[in-house]
Amino acid sequence: MLVSQATGHKVVSVATAETVGRVDHVVVDPQRRAVVALELKKTPSGSVLRWADLTAFGTDAVTVGDAAAIGEPDEAVAFLADKHRRYLGKRVLTTAGDEVGSLDDLDFDHETGSVTALVVGGERLDGTRLVGIGTWAVVVRAAG
Amino acid sequence: MRTSEIEKRPVVTLAGDDVAQIKDVVYSAGGGEVGGFTLAGRGLFAGPSKQALAWRAVSALGADAVMIDSVERFEPVEAVLEAAAAAGGSGGSAGAGGNVLGSRVLTDAGVDLGKVVDVVVEVADGPDPAGGTQCDVVGYEIEASEALKGAGTRLLIPLPDTLAASGEHLMVPAAAQQFVRADLAGFGAAVDDFRAALREGA
Repeated sequence: MLVSQATGHKVVSVATAETVGRVDHVVVDPQRRAVVALELKKTPSGSVLRWADLTAFGTDAVTVGDAAAIGEPDEAVAFLADKHRRYLGKRVLTTAGDEVGSLDDLDFDHETGSVTALVVGGERLDGTRLVGIGTWAVVVRAAG
Repeated sequence: MRTSEIEKRPVVTLAGDDVAQIKDVVYSAGGGEVGGFTLAGRGLFAGPSKQALAWRAVSALGADAVMIDSVERFEPVEAVLEAAAAAGGSGGSAGAGGNVLGSRVLTDAGVDLGKVVDVVVEVADGPDPAGGTQCDVVGYEIEASEALKGAGTRLLIPLPDTLAASGEHLMVPAAAQQFVRADLAGFGAAVDDFRAALREGA
């Protein structure tokens, strides 16, 4: 699923069938090359849903067992979720120090959370090439 | 690549953070190699940094950024300058971190070719296969003197592997004159041809 599609998804509690939030940002850990949490808005409490705590990431909604799964970010997630590290639209540098464009979108496996591809200037780069998501750039391993 | 283009380039970690920018190039090996870089902070008002970057700590010198593993690769400025000076070789003070810009290029036949306005470097595999790359100084951009066709314009002149430099003059073999180019396209080949010619002559 593309991050651009996932953003705005409603988060629904399985226990109460109520909408308990909306996806505002998909938090990616570049070292694990995986989605580790969702930043939410319009929640009754807390702002972060850890990937491990969600029930399913469906085409129409994210489901959680209970709204109590939504909480405040721990230090690691807060670091990755920092607004200066938001990756959509950010410049993409290779490990060789050459700019290849800006990050249009990021594709992830909706079951495992693994990053499957980076969309840069209409081209899909394999997710395994992701090296870093920083304040200045998204870094990808140079081709070849 | 011209060193003037490297200055102000951001230093970026593999994690994607811009942690410094290049201030000046530090030369070693008698001016024949880049020993490292002095740094400045990022941002409009940031001043020079007490940290510097040795060439062996650089993971890549790209068109848009200088890449490093992490800020742990930085060293104190003095350490990088001293290491470059110690590796000064035959070049003397002008080579070891000194400024070659403004020096006159003189051939061993005693002809003044012009004034150095920029330095051209190229990243190549070092002599030790396990020792990583080296950043070789392969040429100078000069404001050509009357001795050259195109006097007054900027021309590129290839350099031998090792060269003699004082603060005043840079000595190049007279043969360098035959390998002068007007732009960087094809200059790498001119450097290779020039150095091959020198080795044959030696």
